[in-house]
Amino acid sequence: MGEFIWHQWARYVSITASVYAMWSAYWGIFYRKVFWDFVGGHLRAPGGLQPSSAILPLSQIIVKAPAVQIFALFVSLAMLMLELRLPPVKGTSLGRSWVVRIALLVVQAVLTILYYQGTNAAIWSLIATFGYIQASVKGEKEEDAKQHRGKVGAA
Amino acid sequence: MGESWLQREILAPRRLLFNILWYGSHLFVFGYGWYSQATNHKLDGLNSLKWSVWSSRGAGLVLAYDGFMILVPMLRNIIRVVRPKFTWLFPADENIWFHRQVAYSLAFWSMVHTTAHYVNFINVEGTQIRPERALDIHYTQPGGITGHFLLTIMVLMYSTAHNKVRKQCFEAFWYTHHLAFFFMLGLYTHATGCFVRDSPLPDYQATFPFYSTKHCLGYESWRFTIWPGLIYFGERVYREIRARKLTRLSKVLVHPSGAMELRIIKPSFKYTAGQWLFIQVPDVSKYQWHPFTITSAPEDPYVSVHIRQVGDWTYGLGERLGAGPSVVKSLTAAAMKAYDRDEKSGISRGDFVELDPSSTSRPMPAVRIDGPYGAPAEDVFDSDVAVLVGGGIGVTPFASILKHIWYRQKRGNLGALRRVEFFWVCRDVPSFGWFQSLLQEVEAAQTDPNFLRINIYLTQKINEDMLWNIAVNDAGAEYDPLTLLRTRTMYGRPDWKTIYGRIRMAIETGQYLPGQNAELKVKVGTYFCGPAPLGRDLKRECLAATNASVQFSFAKEHF
Repeated sequence: MGEFIWHQWARYVSITASVYAMWSAYWGIFYRKVFWDFVGGHLRAPGGLQPSSAILPLSQIIVKAPAVQIFALFVSLAMLMLELRLPPVKGTSLGRSWVVRIALLVVQAVLTILYYQGTNAAIWSLIATFGYIQASVKGEKEEDAKQHRGKVGAA
Repeated sequence: MGESWLQREILAPRRLLFNILWYGSHLFVFGYGWYSQATNHKLDGLNSLKWSVWSSRGAGLVLAYDGFMILVPMLRNIIRVVRPKFTWLFPADENIWFHRQVAYSLAFWSMVHTTAHYVNFINVEGTQIRPERALDIHYTQPGGITGHFLLTIMVLMYSTAHNKVRKQCFEAFWYTHHLAFFFMLGLYTHATGCFVRDSPLPDYQATFPFYSTKHCLGYESWRFTIWPGLIYFGERVYREIRARKLTRLSKVLVHPSGAMELRIIKPSFKYTAGQWLFIQVPDVSKYQWHPFTITSAPEDPYVSVHIRQVGDWTYGLGERLGAGPSVVKSLTAAAMKAYDRDEKSGISRGDFVELDPSSTSRPMPAVRIDGPYGAPAEDVFDSDVAVLVGGGIGVTPFASILKHIWYRQKRGNLGALRRVEFFWVCRDVPSFGWFQSLLQEVEAAQTDPNFLRINIYLTQKINEDMLWNIAVNDAGAEYDPLTLLRTRTMYGRPDWKTIYGRIRMAIETGQYLPGQNAELKVKVGTYFCGPAPLGRDLKRECLAATNASVQFSFAKEHF
């Protein structure tokens, strides 16, 4: 059997992670919670975990205004556009670049780890990042699958 | 194609029935899970979470259903036994397809279940109906921990099982899919401690199942879902034991086309024509099992498989057997050029070479085989006319079937079978030289010229030189210049509509099956193995040809 092609696999993980990120960001807008509020927070009944003052800045951009979630939503949509090779990026150097993907995936991981719903998206984004880095290290190239079609050969 | 994806995948009658039953049952189970939670007054505390807990319970029950079903199509040995009795009820040969449908559904309902739980836990924390933080449930309690592991395992398993990855690197798929062991463990222990209970804190205990079921009001679905898991595990153990039974590699033949024929002797191995097996050669790879079609007939004193050296494992095997790529390459090159050579050298392309173990320094490697596993072509003898269609490498199961037919013909024991139409649609014939030599034998042994008809279609684009070459060699020669059979090779793709139309007409006018009782419906079974697009065309034309007096049926085999 053939060689394992890392970027081929990384793409599927990346699509899964980005869909998860999109979905988690959407729900994160309605159910706002900082993932890191357990650091120094205290539990109040009812009311839940009250974040400590150290977490306050995060609380501002996640709970007070869902900025992180909305930003993560856009990143995940951009990521999906790249991975699904939608018309705006299809065939462009941006659309073929793994560096862009690695960068976006890391941004996606950082953003999604901040809010409550995004943990798995962050982990999976890192798995996909690992896949793309492996692909770059091994020097894989995206092949044009169509170039071999309809060749005349000796029977 | 003629029909849209929707018509083919969703609305074809059998598919539609499946969809209604399958997705209908899912919706029903979801509804029941939802209803039983919402109306249970012992769970009023949880029900204060409203729709999120209702949907997580519903989806949880659906996931138990899917977790049960996911392993059912993988019980290969049980399927092999029950298949002949149930072909009318369900297409048991489509077990991998069904496995995939369960997996898709598993992914979707996991999404529903997880989404609902993220809402549940944030609300549990907010209302403090249980004195805990959301992250406690997620990352310190069994349900949360196993849940996150299950999802990540799913990502790894699904992504490596994608068609493209699987075709590219089967090992990645094969090894990663064994995470299923941990997936199933996670599934069975997911409800440990009972999220669904009437007490605020879980009631753990020291003995199995490690939590008191007194407060547990969940479905405790693991009591049901564990059975296919246990049976599957048992089957794997059984396969391991069976594979360890006495097996000996008796002969290795290298055919001029480069295919290696392994003749294996294993007295405990019983099979029927058209089945396949897994083979393992510990010297090449300790854990890998590779599927191959059995090419010997059950009447043969050995089990044979033909292996072409195309991948890592098969190269490794060739190297180990002393038929390394260089040996095979020269043989293959010779065979590929054979059609250029003068016909005077005889009608054969040269015989196979037997590898003599005493001439090489290493003895024959140990081999283990596991199987046999089913294929629809076992039913060949139930139809009056069998249409066997092999596409490319998919022709291999027919080697065994044709041999088997030949043996039964000699014994005069052909069942209902009256005629055989064999089609081979292939891009380049010479690379399957070993199969040609087999066809030659079968063709030469025919006493009734009408019983077996061989039709070979070469679909490759042919350049001008070759065209003239064929034209010059073909005219007036007794044997076809490409295949060296009496049957002529046809060029281009077969027109199935016309072929089936002709078969039907010939049957109806009575020329085809002399003495056929007109009252009886003639059964024409088509058995196909090969690439999917060809199969689709074939199936459509085959089924379209059915009328009142002739019944056409279609079956295909997967690799």
